[in-house]
Amino acid sequence: MDKSDIILSINGINKSFPGVKALSDASMEVRKGTVHGVVGENGAGKSTLMKILSGIHTKDSGTIVFDGETIEHTTPIQSIRRGLSIIYQEFNLVNTLTVGENIFLGRFKEMKGLRNSHKEARKLLDSIGSTIDTHSLVSDLSAAEKQMVEITKALSFDSKLIIMDEPSSSLTADELKRLFVIIDDLRKKGVTMIYISHKLDEIFQLCDIVTVMRDGFIVDTKLINDLTRNDMIAMMIGREIENEWPERPRCAGETLMEVQNIRTRKLKDISFELKKGEILGFVGLVGAGRTEIVRAIYGADRAKDLKIMINDKLLKIRKPADGKRSGIGLLPEDRKLEGLVLSFSVKDNITMSSLNNIAKFGFVNTSLENDIADRQIKALSIKTPTPHTKTKTLSGGNQQKCIMGRWLELNPDILILDEPTRGIDVGTKYEIYLLMKEIVENGGSIIIISSELPEVLAMSNRVLTICEGRITGEFNPEETSAHDIMDAAIGGGD
Amino acid sequence: MLKQEALKKKRLNKVGDFFMEYLVLMAIVALVIVTAIVEPRFLTANNFRNIMGQFGPLSFTALGMTFIILGGFIDLSLPGMISLIAMITLSLFDVIGEVPAMIFGMALGVFLGAFNGTLLVRVGATTQAKALFITFGMSQIYGAISQLITGGHPISRLFIEHPAPITQNLSSGTIGDIFGFSSFLDSIPITFIVFLFFLAILFIFQKKTVLGRSINYTGGNFLAAELGGIPTKRIMVMIYSICGFMVAIGAIAAFSRTPVAAPEIIGANYERDSIMAVVVGGTSLTGGRGNVLRTVLGVSLIILLSNCMNLMQINSHLQEVFRGAVLVTAIWLDHRRHANA
Repeated sequence: MDKSDIILSINGINKSFPGVKALSDASMEVRKGTVHGVVGENGAGKSTLMKILSGIHTKDSGTIVFDGETIEHTTPIQSIRRGLSIIYQEFNLVNTLTVGENIFLGRFKEMKGLRNSHKEARKLLDSIGSTIDTHSLVSDLSAAEKQMVEITKALSFDSKLIIMDEPSSSLTADELKRLFVIIDDLRKKGVTMIYISHKLDEIFQLCDIVTVMRDGFIVDTKLINDLTRNDMIAMMIGREIENEWPERPRCAGETLMEVQNIRTRKLKDISFELKKGEILGFVGLVGAGRTEIVRAIYGADRAKDLKIMINDKLLKIRKPADGKRSGIGLLPEDRKLEGLVLSFSVKDNITMSSLNNIAKFGFVNTSLENDIADRQIKALSIKTPTPHTKTKTLSGGNQQKCIMGRWLELNPDILILDEPTRGIDVGTKYEIYLLMKEIVENGGSIIIISSELPEVLAMSNRVLTICEGRITGEFNPEETSAHDIMDAAIGGGD
Repeated sequence: MLKQEALKKKRLNKVGDFFMEYLVLMAIVALVIVTAIVEPRFLTANNFRNIMGQFGPLSFTALGMTFIILGGFIDLSLPGMISLIAMITLSLFDVIGEVPAMIFGMALGVFLGAFNGTLLVRVGATTQAKALFITFGMSQIYGAISQLITGGHPISRLFIEHPAPITQNLSSGTIGDIFGFSSFLDSIPITFIVFLFFLAILFIFQKKTVLGRSINYTGGNFLAAELGGIPTKRIMVMIYSICGFMVAIGAIAAFSRTPVAAPEIIGANYERDSIMAVVVGGTSLTGGRGNVLRTVLGVSLIILLSNCMNLMQINSHLQEVFRGAVLVTAIWLDHRRHANA
């Protein structure tokens, strides 16, 4: 391979966030004039890598060579000026400005005024065959049109490399076709593109080369023609399974909860049931609607026509307090934002939901409160200097245990765990798995949502796949391969 | 070596924390010392009586505001509310008598507060910024209604025919006037006793009850409190109702000490001064941390500051400059505390 043929070469990139290693020794090369696919499960490190390239994150170590130039420190604007643009899933446009203004935002002086900016914008839009009026407001555009504006903006910087992060997620089939034509066209003009997507069909249709990532590692980079769909899925999920999980509990009994007709803007006719003592897994991509389903059940989001029956009794759950009273507990997706009061102590965070149970005439019994905190700290072996230590100083795993302790104290019939092990070290993960096992062995039921497929598959008695707001399949993880379940979760290969 | 340095740093931090924690108290002590040296009249019994007498309307409204800010919100509707409650209560004196009128005024306070809270819940204003604008608007509405009812005319207590002993006692009465001990206690103003009464109740409510504790969680992290099963919306209505009640007490105290109550003047600046007392006292403007005792410190500092500056005959405009500086400093310190915590 000719060296001058390489537009981007990254070597041995490492990046850690507190408690998580997001990228380990990542190396890849991108050839000029190709469409380079990057695939991987959620949390594989794709976005982190792209954010390092664009200058949003700083790498811990490793080298980046872009267009023959070694890049040490960079900022988003420097990257763009160098010719490296990123188009994010959620667009980076100012809704209240016009198309032309957005394309040349901050560069009106270079463009010698607004009128010229609009003129140049027109030329660029024409070059990709778009007919959007440069004077229309961005807020009036469709998602597809916004994407065109983003692409035009990238072109206006003479970008040599355009990274597209999940560009198809908000497009209809027709719009997607047009996007492909434009990408193809740009490729012919010598523009290089990195195309990140979960949707393997798109990758096969569009890309020349694919890099597969998993757990912060780059598994491999291969020509698309050398790969089958099955190979790719295997590379995405194939991690060695060695005693990462305790033995799967088998306690599922009678039906405990029936959920009927969750309908919201995002969810379409979700109905399912949960058995007593069962661990039910929800598998799907981020944004598929998994979190929205459990939020609706718990009362955090309103859903029309939703019917929840526990033990054949119809329940009215309008707000989380109702969910709690009905014997449901929720460990939220984002523990810092939605789970903990970070500036409060471990004790306060654990007892938060049980104050009513230890109060007489509305007055809290302080000594019982301390008992609860001590009991849960001991039971979950939460590592904290004292019960009065602020939770913000604890590690992610111990923070998560505080929220677990809060719910275990209430002993709910149904515990919903939304990404319970995200950003948590392996040891604590195992402890959380053991806890789950203990809960169902004591007659509780669990719904678990996780972006780590192996985790859901190893712990669940039953798995529902969710894709674009619908349940697309029900599987027994002991009988179905991870491959087939993943396939259903990403919308089916056929 | 390194460990020792770390320890030393930790100890220094502790000293710093202590300093930060009790800064208001120290400011009060410093103020007392400086004024006592510069102006000997400060330490006279007469002046102490004067200072206690100053624990008037502001101390009640500030107690109410503490709960709002603790819950992570803010209430700018005080001026309008005070005006409306004061004018209606006063108008009712001759119609239904003093005591029923005051009870009606307190009920009106709770109602207006609950209305504020419910409005915020209904429009989905679960952030401080939104609450700021909405309650600001509500203040205009309440104030305007007050003007409509009175036709813009002030009400003079001198023309009230019905006997109003409570108002009289709240305005200038002391313990001695009622019980007649012949001791130092005699000169303690009634309003100060009323203030201590509400302070004790509210303190116990906040520290010991489930509802009181729930306010802290709501202010500490609204989303987490909600998902933890705390009825955050009910808590919102509750804190605005408590504030409404205390504002009503404040309104009664306010019209008690003025012979003529004018609708556009009687409530002026109470929102500003109450927020200032709460924040200066050290209750975090971001919610979750603080208590009513801190607010007492804040109110004390503000009252002492005025007293000292008046004794020293500082120009009134310059006094405003100092007051503003104290508020800005308090918010800055709160921000720093928050960043460190």
